[in-house]
Amino acid sequence: MAHDRLWWRVAWRNLWRNRLRTLITASGLAFGYLGAVLMVGVSDGMLVELIENGTRLMLGEVQVHSEDYLPERNMHRTIGGYEGTDLEIFLNQINSQEDVTAAAPRAYGGGLLSSGEETQAALLMGIDPDREPHVTTLLSRVVHGRPLVTGANEILLGSEMVEQLGTALGDEIVVVAPSSDGSMGNDLFTLVGTFDTGIPAIDQNYGLLALSDLQFLMAMDPARIHEVAITVGNAQDSPRIAETLREFLSDTELPVQVSSWTDLRPELAEMVSLMNAFHFIVVIIIFGMAAFGVANTMLIGTFERRREFAVVRALGTAPIGIGQTVVYEGIVLGMISLVAGSLITWPILVWLHNSPIDLTQVSSGFSVGGAQWRPVLRVEYSIESPIVAGLGLFLTSILAAVYPAWKATRVLPADALADR
Amino acid sequence: MTVRTLVTQLLNTALLLLLSSPIQAQTAREIIDRVDRLLRGESSRGQITMEITTEHWSRSLDMEIWSLGVEHSLVRVQSPAREEGTATLKAGQEVWNYLPRVDRTIKVPPSLMMGSWMGSHFTNDDLVKESRIVDDYDFEISFEGEREGVEVWEFQLTPRPEAPVVWGRIEEQVRKADLMPTWIRYYDEDGDLVRTLTFSGYKTMGGRLVPASMLVTPADKPEEQTVLTYHELDFDISVDESFFSLRNLRARR
Repeated sequence: MAHDRLWWRVAWRNLWRNRLRTLITASGLAFGYLGAVLMVGVSDGMLVELIENGTRLMLGEVQVHSEDYLPERNMHRTIGGYEGTDLEIFLNQINSQEDVTAAAPRAYGGGLLSSGEETQAALLMGIDPDREPHVTTLLSRVVHGRPLVTGANEILLGSEMVEQLGTALGDEIVVVAPSSDGSMGNDLFTLVGTFDTGIPAIDQNYGLLALSDLQFLMAMDPARIHEVAITVGNAQDSPRIAETLREFLSDTELPVQVSSWTDLRPELAEMVSLMNAFHFIVVIIIFGMAAFGVANTMLIGTFERRREFAVVRALGTAPIGIGQTVVYEGIVLGMISLVAGSLITWPILVWLHNSPIDLTQVSSGFSVGGAQWRPVLRVEYSIESPIVAGLGLFLTSILAAVYPAWKATRVLPADALADR
Repeated sequence: MTVRTLVTQLLNTALLLLLSSPIQAQTAREIIDRVDRLLRGESSRGQITMEITTEHWSRSLDMEIWSLGVEHSLVRVQSPAREEGTATLKAGQEVWNYLPRVDRTIKVPPSLMMGSWMGSHFTNDDLVKESRIVDDYDFEISFEGEREGVEVWEFQLTPRPEAPVVWGRIEEQVRKADLMPTWIRYYDEDGDLVRTLTFSGYKTMGGRLVPASMLVTPADKPEEQTVLTYHELDFDISVDESFFSLRNLRARR
């Protein structure tokens, strides 16, 4: 062990013999670290925003349905069957779960909206105006007018639907929907607000009604709902939370299906795993490039010291000892770089997290799987990426030292001393 | 076998050929067209009951129905009370609904033409499409002979390439003796059976032999069905086009 400490010291001293070279190599690695952490941070930020926009707007992070509701969305398949279930009790059960932040009940129907002049097919969504804002941002997207009041036969329509119907705030809209008893439910609703989500499929097709108004229109008992949308603390953790909730709800003996957003929007979940794989590749590329730089410097360093190594060998040191010291040099260099890298990375990360780079000028964003992305480079903190990048940096410096170390062990004392 | 019987047989055969040739000469298209107009005549008025059975509910509607040519028809619900006055008007390619509860008429948008009509297994498109069946399809006789002891024709209707139709193929069986349809089968573009229309209760109404009962069964839900039964049917009544107006659609009776 004493021997070992000696080699560490030799490595440390050797590094500082050519201070400038070491500093340049170390800053190369440190910037590589910064680059890797930042890249991952920015694309994590994009992902978090995509997930948030994909779930917060309408979906919720976890949904509960009757087990036979999806994928047909048959209106008769309500939670708890034809009898339904006591909403208050059911929602309280869900809310009692530790990870659940809020839950909101919903019912759906297909129908016709008519302004008199124009008639359009629409997806009717019955929501609880008090509970819904705790789960989704849907009602905050009401740009004109106001949200719904229960029991007043009011309706909210998307901006594009309003245009297609040629109607205006305060107008009466005829809503026709096939009822659960087979008759044609029809009634007059007042247009009290229009919403603009930026997602055409929603703005063109959806009509929002108070849950109880829709249930009445469709001759459904107030105990009958199609869906409970749930928001949880951590979106990335939704699959696990859905699993826990599934087990918990299986005790209530209601045949329900619990799905996380990853089940409901597989294309979004696919995007997330793709991006995570992409992170890994970015880290490998950045450190792969760094590795050659480090190896180059260290190789020159060992060549310069051929005579030194030869003397040490001639004095009776085993070749492995010489190799060791070169590898130790790599490790020490890695540690110096890591400290330097962290010192420059964290302030920049904190700064970018708090004031994201706004690219609205150059791009208008895009949407994936019904989730919108604004062109704002928001940077997310993560524990994983600094650790992965740190490990990458460390491995790089060690691997880059292996070849020079091997070369060092091959130095033949007689030849080197004779300058051959 | 005597010569006499042989002659008789030959004569019989010749006679049969002679007699049947006018019908043979009828093209498939003409037969289908005739069957298609059976329940309508130039104009008609009828009293029908529609019984709908689905997995989740069943209901029965009494309705009065008027038609003029193939372009116009009007249906008005008489019972149950909750839906009394609900009416559907077909004028050309348009379908309108009248909703007495809100006192509004609504035009069925093109996107919902394949949607259910009054919750039944008929679609809105069924009300419209009949006027075009002879224009949109090519006809051929796919079978001619005896089925369950009855001489029938079976026709295959294939949509013309440019025809704006929803079916991939239609098959129809018609009894030779009285030109009564027995069933019509509707297939989608993949060649899968979507639904079957079965006719029965052949009787004379308004001076014509008609199938008084029609049964629709969707292929994917064999336990569901819609039965439409005519209780009264009069032909060539005195109505004109003004009867099939939005104003009259709204008129409560």
